[in-house]
Amino acid sequence: MLNDTIVGMNDPILITGANGFIGSKVVEILLSYGFNNVRCLVRSSNNVGALNVIISRYASAKVDLVEGNLLSRDDCDRACKGVAVIYNLVAGMEKSFPGCFMNSVVTLRNLLESARQHSNLKRFLHVSSFAVYSNFELKRGGLLDETCEIETHFMERSDAYCYGKVKQDEFLREYGDKYNVPYVIVRPGVPYGAGVKAPIHARVGIDPFGIFFHLGRSNILPFTYIDNCADAIVMAGIKKGIDREVFNIVDDNLPTSKKFLRLYKKHVGHFRSLAVPYWFFYIFCSLWEKYSHWSGEQLPPAFNRRKCAALWKGNRYSNNKLKDLVGWKPKLSFDDVEDRYFEYLMKLKGKVN
Amino acid sequence: MIKVAIIGCGKQADAHAALIQRLGHCEIVGVCDKEELMARQLHERFRVKNYYSNVHELLERARPDVVHITSPPQSHLALGKLCLENGCHVFFEKPFALNFAEAEILIELAQQNDRKLTVGHNNQFNKSAIQMRDLIRSGFLGGTPIHMESIWGYDLGDPRFARALLGEKTHWVRQLPGKLLHNIISHGVAKIAEFMTGTSLKVMVHGFTSNLLKSTGNTDIVDELRVIIRDGDYTTAYFTFSTQIKPMIRQFRVYGPKNSLIVDDMHETVIRVARTNYKSYLNQLVPPCLYGAQYFDKALENVGKFIKRDLHFESGRRRLVESFYGSISDGTPLPITYKELLLTSRIMDSIFDQIKAV
Repeated sequence: MLNDTIVGMNDPILITGANGFIGSKVVEILLSYGFNNVRCLVRSSNNVGALNVIISRYASAKVDLVEGNLLSRDDCDRACKGVAVIYNLVAGMEKSFPGCFMNSVVTLRNLLESARQHSNLKRFLHVSSFAVYSNFELKRGGLLDETCEIETHFMERSDAYCYGKVKQDEFLREYGDKYNVPYVIVRPGVPYGAGVKAPIHARVGIDPFGIFFHLGRSNILPFTYIDNCADAIVMAGIKKGIDREVFNIVDDNLPTSKKFLRLYKKHVGHFRSLAVPYWFFYIFCSLWEKYSHWSGEQLPPAFNRRKCAALWKGNRYSNNKLKDLVGWKPKLSFDDVEDRYFEYLMKLKGKVN
Repeated sequence: MIKVAIIGCGKQADAHAALIQRLGHCEIVGVCDKEELMARQLHERFRVKNYYSNVHELLERARPDVVHITSPPQSHLALGKLCLENGCHVFFEKPFALNFAEAEILIELAQQNDRKLTVGHNNQFNKSAIQMRDLIRSGFLGGTPIHMESIWGYDLGDPRFARALLGEKTHWVRQLPGKLLHNIISHGVAKIAEFMTGTSLKVMVHGFTSNLLKSTGNTDIVDELRVIIRDGDYTTAYFTFSTQIKPMIRQFRVYGPKNSLIVDDMHETVIRVARTNYKSYLNQLVPPCLYGAQYFDKALENVGKFIKRDLHFESGRRRLVESFYGSISDGTPLPITYKELLLTSRIMDSIFDQIKAV
């Protein structure tokens, strides 16, 4: 139930990246809560089939589909006109640092400028990511929450997505403070559910040389089921009294990597995997990083200590802040959705093959 | 110490910045992009002294000796002119200019100002390309090339470049006269231009949109190209650009009156195709063994290069930049002649004109 909201059901709400994996679910949940003035910004109208199916279920709601690119100020102005809440789900997903930066930070700046001039903004809800955290100094098994250190060694980590998201968060804070923008940042762990593109997340393991290395082992996976995640995002976007707060989104009763892999093999299909201890892979990454540096990046630093720690060190996670301040509770657990999720992965695997 | 500046802080700029910082005898004194945020991110990541969003300010305050222009080709003429008029040498990211006319203006201006220009045709400076040039100079072909074949494959699935282009109707590459071809083919065309005189040039073109691109609704982009080129000396060449040929090929074959060479950019190999006089079945038995031995030698050579840290993807760019900087500081010849730059532009103009006409 929604209590203490900053907007009414008829206030216009903008969702950027509305046809994405999380975006389309956010639209669905907003409509299901009864919000009936929703504007969906999409980069291209070629890929809106799933979103249209959702919209068609809520015929009485006013849902506008706006095609535009956030790198265009005109498109931003059009999208932001009169909106009360903006859900910003746009992020650069490219491999290059400048590409990620441009599609994360420049787009954010344009959106904020337009929002400041053309909207009656009550909340700017920004979807960040767990990728912004650095657990390099954190102990194995230590608690990773909203107070944890943010990554600053982007080049060493060789992670353009992490760079884009950290810089996005930084820009939002600076801009929000300067122009008094009422923002909230949410950081989902690993959203999963029908719609994911990679069947097995890198936190479980990777297959770089033709054999699957199970690197997650007994680590807890910071999963959040897409419905739970989108629900948290929606609620954080409209809840009173939480401006300038940051919330991590993870579910309760999280599965371990070992459990996930076992279930994957059982439901989707067996394959050979090799369990690799964290310390062993850390040494490998360390050597690779050193060679990369010594050779002037003859081999790019794709394997490095910081990325190794971020993905496979293993931490505990908390959603207490989200529960306490926003009043969110995950509606579905991993056990509840296990069958339907693996059924989806089976279909996905069929498509990939 | 050579003072270097970079204009255009997008995807290409990273490779330039990383390379310049590795060279040692030069320093990046400023980076510039009309989008200030982009200039700032490059400045922060590469710890460059200053960043600018105004080119005039960059040139006035940072006073670079060399400027690398990595912005889209539509901006090359205006930015190049500005840099040359301010006494800078200029390294352009490919393609050199929007067309032949612009290339001519830039080269003329450089000569008037006693400044130097070059373009990022990195593959022309891979080890294999250099070996090929050495062999040709030593007379291996037995004369000037009679015919050449340049094949340039391109992967539309490359997330760094092609996907951005295909996903965005207003992408700057789509605004180029030759669209995708314009941004890519100068690499393969330059290989041919190097060995042509350019007099009485004839270019015959067939270009079309692949079924794959058509199926994604990108019917405005030509991604398959076949070209026949001939100059006044009757040196001929075929140029092929393809997004559909798999595995992707990037090869240059040059045929002489006596022998021929096959240069493979993907595998960093040069294979000598030499005339043999084996009798009967020996002609089918011995030469394949000799080719096998050549490939084995090349594999060993590449292993050696890897161990010596000389098998970088960017090694061609490094040699090109070093050679360009050497031409500035020591007065050595330019790595790419202006004749080659102009002829590449002329051939490309002709290709785009003919595709447009169809």
